[in-house]
Amino acid sequence: MKRNIKKLIFRWEFALALILLLEIIVFGRLNPRFLKPRVLFGSINDFVSICIISLFVTFVLITGGMDIQAGSIVGLTSISIGVLWNDFGVNIWVACILGLLIGALSGAFSGFLIAFTDVQPMVVTLGGSFLYSGLAMVVSNLSEVEAYKGISGFPQAFLAITKGRINGIIPFQFLMFVALSFLAYFLLHRTKYGRKIFLCGVNRKAAEYCGIHTRKVVMSTYMLSGMSAALAGIILTSYLGTAKTDLGKELTMPIITAVVLGGTSNLGGKGTILGTALASLVIGILRFGLSMSGVNTQYLDIPVGALLIVSVAIRSVSSNDRLVSFIKHRFKRSYQKT
Amino acid sequence: MNVANNGKQSKLKRTLNKLLHARELTSIIFLVLMFAVVGIINSNFLSVSNLTLSLNSSVVYTIVAIGIALVIITGEIDVSVGATLGMAASISATMVRDGSPTWLAFSAAILVGALIGLINGIGVSILKVPSIIMTLGVNSIVRGLIYVYTDGKWVENLPFDFKTISQSKLPGTGITLIYFSVIVIAIIVHLFLNRTQRGKYFAAVGDNEGGATLLGIPVNATRLSAYVICGVFSAIGGVLYASRVGFVTPISGNGYEMKVIAACVLGGVSMAGGVGTVIGASIGSLIMASISRVLVFIGLSSDYDNTITGCLLIIIVVFDAVMQRRNAVTARHERLRARTGNVNLGGIK
Amino acid sequence: MVISNPAHSEKPTVSARSIHKSFGSNEVLKGIDIDLYPGEVLALVGGNGAGKSTLMKILMGIYQADSGRLFVDGVETKINKPSIALANGIYLVPQEPMLFPNMSVEENIIIGFNENKAELRNRLKDTIQTLGWELDLKRKALTLSIAEQQLVEILRGLMRKSKLLIFDEPTSSLTFNEVEALFTMINLLRQQGLSIIYITHRLNEVFQIADRVVIMSDGLITLNAPVEEVNHEILVRGLLPTNIEYQENKICSIDINRECKPIFEVNQLTGYGFSNISFKVYLGEILGIAGIVGAGRTELVTSIFGKDDIINGKVILDGEDITGLSTHEVMSKGLSYVPEDRFLNGMFRISSVAENTTASSVDSLGHIALNKKREKEITNYFIDTFRTRVTGCEQEMGSLSGGNQQKVVIGRSITTKPKLLILDEPTRGIDAAARADVYAIINKLRQDGMAILIISSDMEEIVELSDRVLTMYSGQIVAEFNREDVNHDSLMAAAFGIVGGKV
Repeated sequence: MKRNIKKLIFRWEFALALILLLEIIVFGRLNPRFLKPRVLFGSINDFVSICIISLFVTFVLITGGMDIQAGSIVGLTSISIGVLWNDFGVNIWVACILGLLIGALSGAFSGFLIAFTDVQPMVVTLGGSFLYSGLAMVVSNLSEVEAYKGISGFPQAFLAITKGRINGIIPFQFLMFVALSFLAYFLLHRTKYGRKIFLCGVNRKAAEYCGIHTRKVVMSTYMLSGMSAALAGIILTSYLGTAKTDLGKELTMPIITAVVLGGTSNLGGKGTILGTALASLVIGILRFGLSMSGVNTQYLDIPVGALLIVSVAIRSVSSNDRLVSFIKHRFKRSYQKT
Repeated sequence: MNVANNGKQSKLKRTLNKLLHARELTSIIFLVLMFAVVGIINSNFLSVSNLTLSLNSSVVYTIVAIGIALVIITGEIDVSVGATLGMAASISATMVRDGSPTWLAFSAAILVGALIGLINGIGVSILKVPSIIMTLGVNSIVRGLIYVYTDGKWVENLPFDFKTISQSKLPGTGITLIYFSVIVIAIIVHLFLNRTQRGKYFAAVGDNEGGATLLGIPVNATRLSAYVICGVFSAIGGVLYASRVGFVTPISGNGYEMKVIAACVLGGVSMAGGVGTVIGASIGSLIMASISRVLVFIGLSSDYDNTITGCLLIIIVVFDAVMQRRNAVTARHERLRARTGNVNLGGIK
Repeated sequence: MVISNPAHSEKPTVSARSIHKSFGSNEVLKGIDIDLYPGEVLALVGGNGAGKSTLMKILMGIYQADSGRLFVDGVETKINKPSIALANGIYLVPQEPMLFPNMSVEENIIIGFNENKAELRNRLKDTIQTLGWELDLKRKALTLSIAEQQLVEILRGLMRKSKLLIFDEPTSSLTFNEVEALFTMINLLRQQGLSIIYITHRLNEVFQIADRVVIMSDGLITLNAPVEEVNHEILVRGLLPTNIEYQENKICSIDINRECKPIFEVNQLTGYGFSNISFKVYLGEILGIAGIVGAGRTELVTSIFGKDDIINGKVILDGEDITGLSTHEVMSKGLSYVPEDRFLNGMFRISSVAENTTASSVDSLGHIALNKKREKEITNYFIDTFRTRVTGCEQEMGSLSGGNQQKVVIGRSITTKPKLLILDEPTRGIDAAARADVYAIINKLRQDGMAILIISSDMEEIVELSDRVLTMYSGQIVAEFNREDVNHDSLMAAAFGIVGGKV
């Protein structure tokens, strides 16, 4: 029992939960309005896309991959839905399903190239990020509406999916995030598919010798992350009421930050959904709380960047035996002196 | 006589062979093809003035790509170059606007670039933070600091002298002095990497870190210096950017990191480290910078810029990877086949 | 045998005094004292895990000793990184080649030198000529075979003007002639006054090349004597762990019915690295395939296992044609393979023992959700029957000893209930106790009626385990022996392509 508690405390997720709690306490002190449930829960509207996408980009990183194209897929999905609905007269819900399909296809295309040609994932998804944001421009050119304005005027029912709140407090987005976290958790930690993802990430060659179709597994993770990006695109379009090509432009870096801060190794094989979910909340709440405390929104990148570097540096230093023993040695020596 | 002749021939052959197998070749062929095809569609494209314009407009990409290529060759990555560029541009522009001499502004920008590079380098090589994470974090911080420094305002009304830095031409040609200087820098860095002992350490570290350590190669110092040089070159890029564009906004340089990484990849620099040259990175930059001009000349909207870049990147890289793998498999098979000898089977059973 | 300085009138080049080193709670070196004299070749032998490599890494500055002192030319020196070792004239030729794959052979050899390039190149050419090795200096390192890579590593060591040159099992993948050339070179270096440490598992080499023998066992030096004072027997005893008696575990013969249909049949199979291979395996039979490294044995079985193309011929498992099927399909038809390189292809280092055990049979663990209870049962079953020493199912694979790792990997290969099990170098890199356990496991599996194919470069192992032995040389089967005719010498001769007195 005691050992279990010790194990829990030394888990990274526990540290993240503490940080989250600390943030809420500190920001609550600075601005009591922050602690109003409606405000606190409502904050997720600002960063739900980061939360959702990072859940599934975690899958990609665990296979040892990298995904910097998700942001572009958000924009591509958004504008596709807009153009389909506005210019081609497609029912909005059908357009959403087609949007999901576009996201899945985009992810699968990059995933296919990564899995079957062994080009570095970073390079392929870099190409993907250009390609899909470019395609978003192409799609927007099909519309009569000028690109910079974006497409708006969507039906009420579509806009309503992101406006509702349970008891007037908890927004639908929050529920979506919780539901998707459970889904991702189940997929990654409780299914045979999830186990294969881990095995591929730890040692892909050995996984192949075990008869696992590593290529299919690797490819599928990119497809999943593409779909999650599409879903984020739908939610953002509904929330903002406008379909635009550049909706996901600034998402790439926060997504990777959330996944890595959550404890996922960029070398693959390690990571948890709980960690990613908590880390995305930590980042989101940090930004929200700071801006509520009167910090200029343009400055918010600074603490997020610092948080990322410091947390990973601590993790990396503490796993580096030589450095640790050096510090211990130093400590011992100074201790002996006194 | 005959022997000597043979020796000469084989040397020529070897040089030719080397040239044919250089990874930059794909990029050069592609560049020439692109220019040729566009030239056929619209002959104006091949006019001297347009060609020099293409070269001149690639100058910022080129200098930053040279810097980041060094980091990539050591097996790491730097996604903070865009922010560094923006910071250097803001600082130099603000200083010259407020009356500082150009050299001082230039030095200040370079100093800041070196500092950012140093921080990246310390994080990656000493604290052992994975490079994508370290530079991602630094990118966020520097982006934020640009807002703090400029208070979110544009830096405009730059003095004429400062703007002419990027305009003055090499006598008798249409090529700007700065493009010429950047090419000279590229050649110097290339010679450094390929001809000097210390320069070869960069590729060695990226190729096999463990092996490099065992040979006493200063792995950490090499990586650290790659980051510092990359920071400095990004800062130079920032000053050139400010001079060319004539004003600086807080989002100047946004997304440059992706473009210069793409330029390196197009120029045959492997993201796995150990493979690639700064000459290749320069060619890649030229391709990147030319794409939007090409679109204009063949009558397409520049909205297709990203689509084309993405397709190009993917096609070149995938083609390269597939060819390399095929070569590796063929080589392996040939070796194995050579090993399968004919054995005298007499005397068994 | 030349003994240059039995009295050690000279001062030692490098000395180590009471070197201790632990990894966590595991004490690897328990106080090592050693002196290395100029002009002396010291052979260092010892079982796996005896601490040889750790000691060498401490000399090279890759690890630091927890306590103890190092002296170079009588002066106490702190060697805390490789560059300091190199500056003091110490060079280690590592067991696993560490080349720069994208550089040419020449660049690989001369990198890190502060000398005139032209001179270096000439010296390199001279060295290669002296050795008589064939090596194209312009080739990229990534196109070299393992043996060629090893040659490059050795050349690196020879080119360094070192005082102390350490060879860590340099000959493990070299041919006869290459070994001979290396020995000539080492003799030359000895005459020039270098200290040489030569680590090897091949006891014959000790008598061929060494002046002095040091046996390490369990972190201690148990013997340090001039080579003429020791014999084969002493060395063999020194190689065994102190607490284990050498035991004869020749597998009991069981009746194999070779009248009925073979469970596995390879017919005129040709692929990359082997040609025209035919053999049969019967139920309950252990077929050994002997040969030296590079004879094409691993290529043969990995091709059957769906890892490379098959050019010609047929592979039949239990009446079904499995030629050219994918790894997944081959496995589902009932063939399992335990790869040669455990670290690269065999294990998931940071995963748990349970995850490692079930990696091949994930698909059978529930429908969609993972049945963790079933996983635990399977894992515990193998831990119990194989006597794997673990703290539990959740222990990280990388923290097990080599022998226990191998037991887990073998256990995994059986979770798919194969009809034929192929073991590639099943006891490489594991200690004698674990080896005995692995042999017992193999024996039990065979008694349960499984057909087993064993590949090994260790002739003793082949002799001990096999009912029938095939010998491969240059990608072909050159000899077949029955259990009664198998002996070490005939196998060795066949493995080097000498059949019936002819080459």
